[in-house]
Amino acid sequence: MGKQTNLLQGTLDLLILKALAVQEMHGLGISNRIAQITRGTFLVKPGSLFPALHRMEEAGWLASYWGESENNRKAKYYRLTAAGRRQFEAESRQWETIAVAMQNALEA
Amino acid sequence: MGRLKNIFRKSAVESDLDSELRVYLDQLTDRNLRDGMEPEAARRAARMELGGLDQVKEEVRQVRAGRLIEQTLQDVRYGVRMLRKNRGFTAVAVLALALGIGANTAMFSVVYGILLRPLPYPDAARIAVVCLRYYPRDFAYGTLCLRDFETWKANNHAFEEPSIFGATRLDLAGGEAAPEQVLGAAVSSGFFPTLRVQPLLGRIFAPGEDQAGSPAMIIIGESLWRRRFAASRDVPGRSILIGGVPHTVIGVMPGALRCPYAETEAWTNLRQPLPTRYGPWSYRGIARLKPGVTLEQAQADTNAIGLVMMRQNPTYKRLTVPVLELRDWFAGDMRKPLTVLMGAVALVLLVAIVNVANLLLARGTARDREMALRLSLGAERGRLVRQLLIESLLLAGTGGVAGIALAYAAVQALHYGNPGSLPFMEFVHLDTRALLFTLAISLFTGLLFGLFPALRSSRTDLRRSGAVSRRHTQTRSALVAAEIALSLMLLVGSGLFLRSLDRLERVSGGFSAPAQQILTMTISPGDRKYSEAAAGLPFYRDVVQHALSIPGVESAAVSDALPPDRQGDADTFGIEGRPEAAGEINPVVSDITASPGFFRTLGIPLLRGRYFDEHDIAASEPVTVISESMARRFFGGSHAIGQRLRASGAGMGNPWMKIVGIVGDVKYLGRSEIRDNDAAYYMPLSQNYVQRMYLAVRTIEAPGSLVRALRREIQAANPTATVARIGTMDHAMDLDVAEPRFHTAILGIFAATALLMASVGIYGLIAFSVARRTQEIGVRIALGARPGDVLRLVVRQAATLAVVGIAFGLAGSLALTRLLQTMLFGTSATDLFTYTLVPGVLFGVVLLAAAVPARRATRISPVVALRYE
Repeated sequence: MGKQTNLLQGTLDLLILKALAVQEMHGLGISNRIAQITRGTFLVKPGSLFPALHRMEEAGWLASYWGESENNRKAKYYRLTAAGRRQFEAESRQWETIAVAMQNALEA
Repeated sequence: MGRLKNIFRKSAVESDLDSELRVYLDQLTDRNLRDGMEPEAARRAARMELGGLDQVKEEVRQVRAGRLIEQTLQDVRYGVRMLRKNRGFTAVAVLALALGIGANTAMFSVVYGILLRPLPYPDAARIAVVCLRYYPRDFAYGTLCLRDFETWKANNHAFEEPSIFGATRLDLAGGEAAPEQVLGAAVSSGFFPTLRVQPLLGRIFAPGEDQAGSPAMIIIGESLWRRRFAASRDVPGRSILIGGVPHTVIGVMPGALRCPYAETEAWTNLRQPLPTRYGPWSYRGIARLKPGVTLEQAQADTNAIGLVMMRQNPTYKRLTVPVLELRDWFAGDMRKPLTVLMGAVALVLLVAIVNVANLLLARGTARDREMALRLSLGAERGRLVRQLLIESLLLAGTGGVAGIALAYAAVQALHYGNPGSLPFMEFVHLDTRALLFTLAISLFTGLLFGLFPALRSSRTDLRRSGAVSRRHTQTRSALVAAEIALSLMLLVGSGLFLRSLDRLERVSGGFSAPAQQILTMTISPGDRKYSEAAAGLPFYRDVVQHALSIPGVESAAVSDALPPDRQGDADTFGIEGRPEAAGEINPVVSDITASPGFFRTLGIPLLRGRYFDEHDIAASEPVTVISESMARRFFGGSHAIGQRLRASGAGMGNPWMKIVGIVGDVKYLGRSEIRDNDAAYYMPLSQNYVQRMYLAVRTIEAPGSLVRALRREIQAANPTATVARIGTMDHAMDLDVAEPRFHTAILGIFAATALLMASVGIYGLIAFSVARRTQEIGVRIALGARPGDVLRLVVRQAATLAVVGIAFGLAGSLALTRLLQTMLFGTSATDLFTYTLVPGVLFGVVLLAAAVPARRATRISPVVALRYE
């Protein structure tokens, strides 16, 4: 991902939190959901997705469990914890502030 | 809980990740199939999208590991912060651990170096030293004579090759360096083969070279070789003068060979004369057990030989032939005290551990709330446990480092302050295994008492934390009582040692001259001609006269024995008109040869009759002076003067000597010796010449400055003479009690440490309990309780603990101090004074430690107290 890692990493976290805010999902579901809500702007590769998921689980934002997927396969599901929900709210607010500031700056 | 899984169940995490990614791959394949791809193409496309299974796994792993390290560092930082915030707690816990670890490591290092260190001989456990014990001589590990050696060899079944050694002082003449005396040993040919040691240079004595007609040979030790011969490789073959007799150096032994004594530096071949009579008893046996023979079997065999010896010589009564392992021979008298001290230091470690456990419990209770709060706020239990673990490790680690420093300092101090009674001190080094062992124990304690309360409290919620702390308080009370009990045991042991040492130090050496004004040294005349009185008597007369000519010298004399520890000869005796029954001899007593000025120089009191004087010469009537105990034991008091005595048993051809005086008892065998063993008879040098003598000089002031002058005068009287072991009587008296003094000091330090830790323990407990009962005490004060009542309330708790602890401690002391009885001088192991004073003092200290928080309790304001919490 080159020089954009930091920016993208913060973005990716927020996108994962956003994706999981609605419902619990397995890995492929999350990446599909992100593609859907960003209208295909972000296509999250497994090489970025899984490290992010595990890092966020370590941080206590996500919890995981094994469940049944759509076509009766076992799949690992992720959900937001209380801490994850708080993190989502905080990051959303922060993102809005930055977005508004950037917009203002570019239009000035 | 993900993290805990990471730490403890690595493989489970791995397989979990593996299945997760496989499922993902399958899901991608399914999707591709749904999009209408061929199965093979669908799978390939899915794999390409995933971008390498192993690569993804590795990235996930790195993320997890990074988190773990980061969190651990966080915990360490937090732990350090907590330890620094609670300075008192940290200081006391670290100090307790350091003292426990340090003292144990140092003590074990000493015990290992002196008692347990592997000896530098192959299969050393199979080498035994063979001694002789019989009455009336009664030395536990006494010596045997050449006749006994013959009997042993003739009847031996248990040992490979019986051999013997006898310690001698060797006078090295001034050929290669200044004349000097060294400790040597005359050994039979089997000595070195028994030890199985190879010389650095040259060879050992060949079989048969220990016979009467053999040429005189010497094997020198590495230290002597380096000191006197500059480590020259051509030393073997050289001839050197020993006591005026040329000896051929045939070999050099490695420095590790320190046998039969730590200071032995040379070995001569024992050119055994054919034994025509019993004596002199100058030797001990040394031999290697035959394969398959145990030490016990060897002991049974030598006991049977003992029966033969008794049959051959009826003056041996109740004879046994004690066999002891070489290791025990080296350890000598040190084994018992070192074992006792090792036990004592283990008690100190126990007190330290109890103390730390106590502190950790107290802190666990104090942090109950913190833990419960953090749990309810969503902290993971595993994370809390790991943090407590890290805190305990930090504490134990710090204590361990401080302990290492302490142990190192203690071992260094022992090296510099070696009381002179510890042999082989140079083999004492800081012992890594002991260090690791004690460190492990303290770590374990830290974990046990730091983690369990934490785990328990992590399971409770806020509402129930009160019940836990009550249970903790009970445990803590028990721990404090245990500390008091253990401290009491150490204090009682220490008290008994102090009493014993005090009694011992009060024992007079038997002379009244100020000890710091008596200078002593041993003199060896060197040349062979001095083995005859014709040359020797004038030499010693000159030595005494020259010494008297030195300004500052008040009187001077020579003798072959000196108090308090330089025993000369010992022999039996006969009394005229009282022939011994067949096969009986009188007990062996000290027999001392001295010049006329000896009694005055040392200030040995004359009780009756007269001292020797200048008129007692070889040509005049033989005379003797006896000691008070000699007179009491064998003459029933005062009728001794005028009776006649002769040295050795009947048939030795010794002349009858008239008893002309009775003098006070002198301690030649150490001050701890019983009075009966002060029996001695003195003979004038002029009538009983002895070649090697001690010079004793009484000076007006401190004698240090006179040493050079005395040496010069002695050399002037005889250039081949050597002097050695120069020192004041003061020093000798100190050395005589150095060993008990050392034990007493060490045990005292241990006991003081334990007492300190117990005081901290009781203080902490009472302070905590006062804090917990603030409300209750406040209510009592509000209801009219006076300060005295509150004080009593708090102190009663401490007193109860003290009484329980002291009761257990007394029981333990009574059981254990029995083991000390043989180490005590003039003091019973159940000495009432010690057993009354020590518990009293301990009780007082406990109350004092409790008084501080108790006083704080009396100042509790009811208003504040009711608002508390």
